[in-house]
Amino acid sequence: MFQIFKEHRHKWRQILLLAQTELRKTYKGALLGIGWALVKPLLTLFVYWFAFEFGIRAGGSTGGVSRFTFMLVGFVPWFFMSDAILMGSKSIRANKQYVVKMKFPVSTIVTFTLISRLYVHFMLLVPMFAYLWLTGFPPTVYMLQLPIYMVLMFVFFEALTWSTATMSAFSMDFLNLVNSIMTCLFWLSGILWDASSMGIKWLKYLMYANPITYVVDSYRYSLIYNKWFFIESPARTALFLAELVAVSLLGMYNYKRLRKQLPDVL
Amino acid sequence: MSEQIMTGQPVIEFHNVSKIYTLYRSSKEQFLSLFFKPKGLKKHKALDGVSFTINKGDAVGIVGNNGAGKSTMLKMITGVAFPSEGTVEVKGRVSALLELTAGFSDEMTGRENIYLKGLILGLEQHQIEEIEPDIVEFAQLGDYIDQPVRTYSSGMKMRLGFAININTKPEILVIDEALSVGDASFKQKCHNKIKDLIASGVTVMFVSHSAAAVRDVCTRAIYLKKGKLVYDGDVDTAIKLHDQNK
Repeated sequence: MFQIFKEHRHKWRQILLLAQTELRKTYKGALLGIGWALVKPLLTLFVYWFAFEFGIRAGGSTGGVSRFTFMLVGFVPWFFMSDAILMGSKSIRANKQYVVKMKFPVSTIVTFTLISRLYVHFMLLVPMFAYLWLTGFPPTVYMLQLPIYMVLMFVFFEALTWSTATMSAFSMDFLNLVNSIMTCLFWLSGILWDASSMGIKWLKYLMYANPITYVVDSYRYSLIYNKWFFIESPARTALFLAELVAVSLLGMYNYKRLRKQLPDVL
Repeated sequence: MSEQIMTGQPVIEFHNVSKIYTLYRSSKEQFLSLFFKPKGLKKHKALDGVSFTINKGDAVGIVGNNGAGKSTMLKMITGVAFPSEGTVEVKGRVSALLELTAGFSDEMTGRENIYLKGLILGLEQHQIEEIEPDIVEFAQLGDYIDQPVRTYSSGMKMRLGFAININTKPEILVIDEALSVGDASFKQKCHNKIKDLIASGVTVMFVSHSAAAVRDVCTRAIYLKKGKLVYDGDVDTAIKLHDQNK
C-alpha cells in the first residue's frame, strides 16, 4: 500500500533533476525557451478577457471584482491543474524508457512531471501578483493561506495522477477518456463563473463538489476576496479533504495493482 | 549500500518462477480489463517454474534458442520485469550491459547525464563524483562530454552508456553478447574491462549464442528451452544440449 512513499525515499535529488530536465525537454530549441510556458497562458487569458469584455456579457463584475480579475485568479491555478491532468496522465507513457529498460521508481515519474508544471505555475504567479497590485489588490494577511492551498492542490493532483497515469499507460483508450472529460471539468468548475451565485441549486452543489472549484475559490479568497476560506467554508473544505483522501487511496490501489504489469504492456 | 556479501553466498535466487504474459486481442479488451476481471484471454508462458541459485563470484552463461525465456529472465534480475508466480531475490547492485543508452536525457550534457544515471542506478552524490573522471576518460568523448547528448552520434552514446554502467562498481553484471559498442579498438577495451571485472570476483550473468564466448567467460551454464530450465551445471554439457536441440 505504501509502495509509492517507499519509492520516493532518498530520491528527491533525482526527482528535482528530472523535473528540470522535463522543462528543458518541453521547451527545447525554442527562441523564447521557457518563456513559452508563459506566452500560451497569457494569450489564452487575453482571448477570454476580450470575449468577456466586448462579447458575451459586455464586461460586468462578479461580487464587486471585475470579471477579468475574477477569471485571472481562477485561470492561473487552472493552468497548473489542466497541465497536471493532461501531462500527468501521459507522463508514464511519455517516459516509457524508465519503465521498460531499467529498474526505476515509476511513481516518481508522476512527481517530477508535476513538479515541472509547478515551476511554470510559480512563474505565472509573478505577472498575476503584479497585475493585482496595480489594479488595487495589494497583498494582505489573507495571502498567507495561499501556500496551504498550493500544497493541497499539488497533493490532490499528484494523488489523482497515480491513477490516471498508470491507467493511461495500461490503455491508450483511458488516456483519450481523460482528455475528453477535461472539457466537462472546465465548464463545470468555477473558473469562468462564480459557483456561489448559481441559481440552480443542484448545479451549484455539483460545482462545489468539483475539487477544481475548491482550488480556484481558495485562490480567490486569498487574493481578492480577502477572507479566510477554510473559516468561511468549512463544509467545502471538509468535502475537499475527503475527496483528497479518497483519490489518494484509489491512487495507491491502482498503482499497486498495475505497477508490475506496466513493463509488459508498454 | 548493501551489506558485504561473502564469496559463495547466494546473490540471485529464483524460486519456482513463472512469467505469464497476457495477450490482449484488441485495445478494447485491454481497456475493459482495467475495470473487469478479463475472461478467456490468451496467455503466453515465457518462463515456467524456474528455480536456481547463483552465488557471489559465479560466472554463469545462459544458453537457449530465441523465445526460450533468456531476456525475460534477465529483465527480472535487473528489476525491470516481475514474476507472475514464484519469487526472485537479488542482492547487490546490478549493472546491465543491455540497454546502454536508456535513461539518457538528450537535452543534458554528457557530464550531467553521468550524474543523472548515477542517481538512477542508486549511487550517492559523492560516489558519482568519485567515479566521474574514470567514466569521462573511459568514454573518450573529449570536449563533447560537456555538450548535450542529442549532438552525439549513436556510437558516442553507446560509449558513454558503457562507461557509466561498467564504472559504477556493480556487484552483479548482466551481459548480453549481442551488445555492440563502437569500433574494434573500443570493443577490445570493453572486453578487457569486463574480463578485469570478472577476475575481481563480480558475479556475472552472460547471455550468448556463441559457444566459444560462453566457454571463455563462464564456469557454469544454464540451458533454457521453451521457458523451462532443462539443465544447470557445467558449461560443456549445457552447450552440447543446446547444440542438439537447435
